[in-house]
Amino acid sequence: MQIEKWQFEDWEGALDHYFREGLTDGLPVVPPTPERVQAMLDYCGLGADDILGTEGIRHKQFPAGKVAVNAVMAGCLPEHFPVVAAAISAVCDRSYNFHASSTSTNGIANLVIVSGPYAASIGMNHGVNLLGNGNRANAAIGRAINLVKSNFYGSVSQEMDKSTFGHSGKYSFCFAEDLETSPWPSLAESKGFRPGSSTVTMVAGNAPLQLETHGDRDPEGFLTAAAHAMLGFGPNLSEVVLVISQELMAYVAASGWSRVQVADFMHEKTLRTTGEWDNWRRMDKLPQDADRERLLGCVSGPDRITVVPAGGDAGEFMAIITSWGSSRSVTREIAVPN
Amino acid sequence: MTSIRTLDPRDAADPSPAARAIRPASLDGKTLGLLSNNKPHSEELLRMMAGIIAERYSLAEVVEYNKGGHQWPADRLALEDLARRCDVMIHATSE
Repeated sequence: MQIEKWQFEDWEGALDHYFREGLTDGLPVVPPTPERVQAMLDYCGLGADDILGTEGIRHKQFPAGKVAVNAVMAGCLPEHFPVVAAAISAVCDRSYNFHASSTSTNGIANLVIVSGPYAASIGMNHGVNLLGNGNRANAAIGRAINLVKSNFYGSVSQEMDKSTFGHSGKYSFCFAEDLETSPWPSLAESKGFRPGSSTVTMVAGNAPLQLETHGDRDPEGFLTAAAHAMLGFGPNLSEVVLVISQELMAYVAASGWSRVQVADFMHEKTLRTTGEWDNWRRMDKLPQDADRERLLGCVSGPDRITVVPAGGDAGEFMAIITSWGSSRSVTREIAVPN
Repeated sequence: MTSIRTLDPRDAADPSPAARAIRPASLDGKTLGLLSNNKPHSEELLRMMAGIIAERYSLAEVVEYNKGGHQWPADRLALEDLARRCDVMIHATSE
């Protein structure tokens, strides 16, 4: 692959160029020197021309070299690149609909959820302030996906990206599953990957809705609260991610509830009649002869609810992250270098 | 003086934007295609536009196609069929 090189007198000159050309997310980037990019590729044993994926709508190929350039700009270290590479492979799955979700007025960001031991080995945050700032791996990996989206794919803010609001996850939206205190097998295993594997799950995610449920130790209680919060999003969600913090997960563990049970309960608690949804003005184009007694949940079934234990050790909180349109979350195994 | 070399993060292979189709001099005798993305009111908007056009020109035919949803591309075979049947197309999104 021939990647155009630019030459500058100093880093300030390089930064000015990247800003001038609209190649940042509004914050300074790390100038992607050939040496840094090569180190990124070498860490994964990849060549610059190796294709990480072919996007399912425009059929655009993502070469490792260009993805690595953007990953360096985002602040990634070489050991972050296996996660970035798996994430790019995931969003290329047609079911994710990377193109439409990257251009829609809906304004989602590409959420990166990392499960398995690789997350801890690169220092990812699964605890306090995991959806916030302060952790290089979380910040840089999530940022890399967004820079690839804008710089390489062309979904530039206010141009191809027509988000009405957008949200701050467009800078970076990435966290790890808490496997230290979780009572469950990993999310990777729940998605069908072998025990001990590390995966990345990509979700075309709206901004998180945080719920506080102090005082309720019965999962039925605080999950009912979460389900009722979901109702506001209507019955046409493709998927939902429910993040449950440590204190609440302790109550879930004490009750012996499995991940599947939580999802089943959440789905059942959002079931409402079509007529009720229509009365709430959450049904589009409901035909006159529609069965108004038919039950609909926020999602089509419990398999569309991904439950992730993660978050700080204090506070009884949950976060609900809804996905865009018809986009499906996609999970890929991280190719961990030997 | 030291210098720094950096790399371009963009897709060098990105094709330039598609060229506009040649516009007919008149719509008289032409077949007009209406491509809806199924958003609320998109068909109403398209029909309204077709009505205004029909007041000014003698259209041969108006062909309507709803691609079934705004989130996915139109079916390729359907698009090819529309391209064969229509002289001009209007694609609309609405709410």
